[in-house]
Amino acid sequence: MYSILLNVAFAAYFLAMVFYFLEVFFNHKALLFLARAFVFCAVACLTAYTAMRWHIAGRPPLSDMFESLVIFSWAIGLVLLFIDLRYKIKSISSLVALMGLLALGYASFLDKEIAPLVPALKSNWLTIHVLTCFIGYSALTVGFVSGLIILFKKDEIVKLDTVSYKIIAFGFLFLTMGIITGAVWANSAWGTYWSWDPKETWSLITWFIYAIYLHTRLVKGWKGQKAAWLAVIGFLAMLFTYFGVNYLLSGLHSYA
Amino acid sequence: MPMRQTKLWKFFSSIKLAIWLLAIICALSLIGTFIAQNEEPAFYISRYGQYGYSLLLKTGLADVYNSWWFILPLVMISLNLMACILNRLSFKGRQLGTFICHVSVLVILTGALIGMVYGQKGYMKINKAEEAGSFEVGKKHVDLGFSVRLDDFIYNESIDPKEKLSVYDGKLIAEIPTAVGAEQEIAGTGYKVKILRYLPDFVMDMSTKEASSRSTNANNPAIQVELKGKDGFQDKFWVFARYPDMHQSIKSNYKFVYNWVGRRPKDFISKVTIIKGGREMISRDIRVNSPVKFQGYIFFQHNYDQERLNWTGLKVVKDPGVGVVYLGFILFILGLSIRFYISPLLRRE
Repeated sequence: MYSILLNVAFAAYFLAMVFYFLEVFFNHKALLFLARAFVFCAVACLTAYTAMRWHIAGRPPLSDMFESLVIFSWAIGLVLLFIDLRYKIKSISSLVALMGLLALGYASFLDKEIAPLVPALKSNWLTIHVLTCFIGYSALTVGFVSGLIILFKKDEIVKLDTVSYKIIAFGFLFLTMGIITGAVWANSAWGTYWSWDPKETWSLITWFIYAIYLHTRLVKGWKGQKAAWLAVIGFLAMLFTYFGVNYLLSGLHSYA
Repeated sequence: MPMRQTKLWKFFSSIKLAIWLLAIICALSLIGTFIAQNEEPAFYISRYGQYGYSLLLKTGLADVYNSWWFILPLVMISLNLMACILNRLSFKGRQLGTFICHVSVLVILTGALIGMVYGQKGYMKINKAEEAGSFEVGKKHVDLGFSVRLDDFIYNESIDPKEKLSVYDGKLIAEIPTAVGAEQEIAGTGYKVKILRYLPDFVMDMSTKEASSRSTNANNPAIQVELKGKDGFQDKFWVFARYPDMHQSIKSNYKFVYNWVGRRPKDFISKVTIIKGGREMISRDIRVNSPVKFQGYIFFQHNYDQERLNWTGLKVVKDPGVGVVYLGFILFILGLSIRFYISPLLRRE
């Protein structure tokens, strides 16, 4: 069955994580090459998996917690490749690969059954809304990882800080698009673009935290540790928007 | 003293205020996600007790997003934003993106305000084959100026491919899909099985022997099966998912087992006709994600008669602010893209 692709992606993420980690200590080109090849392999497998599931289900596979986790992991891989190739910061890649691994690992515990779409999800907004959200989430995850490392590291902070800011700005743009597409979709399905549903409210809280990050940084000059703390807090709010709202609170957005 | 040097102006044009207000709004909106909002009194009383309920009412915690202590920081941040736009930002050069972003937030808030002042949101319930010309906003009735007739309400469910009608003759001899109309021969026997009806909540009127569904909830799922043989043999009977031994086929060596799997809603469709001045204007299907618009009012599928599919509940919305809000949305994305991507590119060259 095509779900073997998920296992291959999982293994590839694991190996990528290991090789990135080794590369920090041994600084060998072959290690870096292997790590990148494995991330590429993971992304390719997840792309193929999503394409096949899309074909089998006859609808975009973006409708429940399992499917969204696969997309999350896929987006993390893409952002990781971009960051790694563009900024070449060793210390974050291994942890970012771990994030992709965790998302897939969590997905493996969930029901993989393809279920038909409920009427509320039958909309052209589904694809664009979910994709913008998860590209945003994965960028903010990278922002979190670099923030975390800034909090524990003494060197390379300036470079890490710059990357963290750039990726958070990118994530903020996509989070904004995710919230806006969600609002437009809600308006065409339920007749209100904003109803203070827990999912909406928490996405706004997350958005506000990153807005604070950007304002304190760009106007007040907060960098390094202070900015890193906000990146961590913002990520926790993002996690709550993604998981917490579904498991702990009840509302309209009960799919994922 | 010029306006821009007053203490008030300085207070409202400070970034520090903006950051504090963002943090305060975060904290306040968080409260509203942990206390269920705008529920019935009974809900709060059972959960927090009579005293707790009166406390929630007094403090506005049961309706956080409309209470004064939530609106106040929103108003303050709007003033803050206006002062900052006037004081700190310009439409030119490096600040273009930032400027558009901040103005677009005001545009969105303006659109929301227009909706609050001039918009209407309500609900109407229409019985099948009847028409209604008004909708309810709270306890008030608002006249539409035309009427909406419900021609039909359709509720479809998707059937899990694992759902089967199994036929045993000592051992399993056939598995038949359970969609109404499905037909299959039992291999090598000359018998043919056809699914005639599906009722999620089977009930039989004892005087007329008429079967019907008490509701759309799957309390007692049953399918009506037709069994035909080569020699003109014909039989019709019900098979129950919950009561596998209850079916009464005259062909007694066959045992039918209905493996029911939870069905999921597939479509809710209100077929409506809009009538104005005695004339039928349009006939449309209202579905979730595809509302119907007529003369500024938009009709959304909201709820339906779960027992007999005899009525539909529509949400009625008139919101002249939506266009403004959407303009703000587009401007915001544009502004952010300019700020983070287009401006830096231009500066580098």
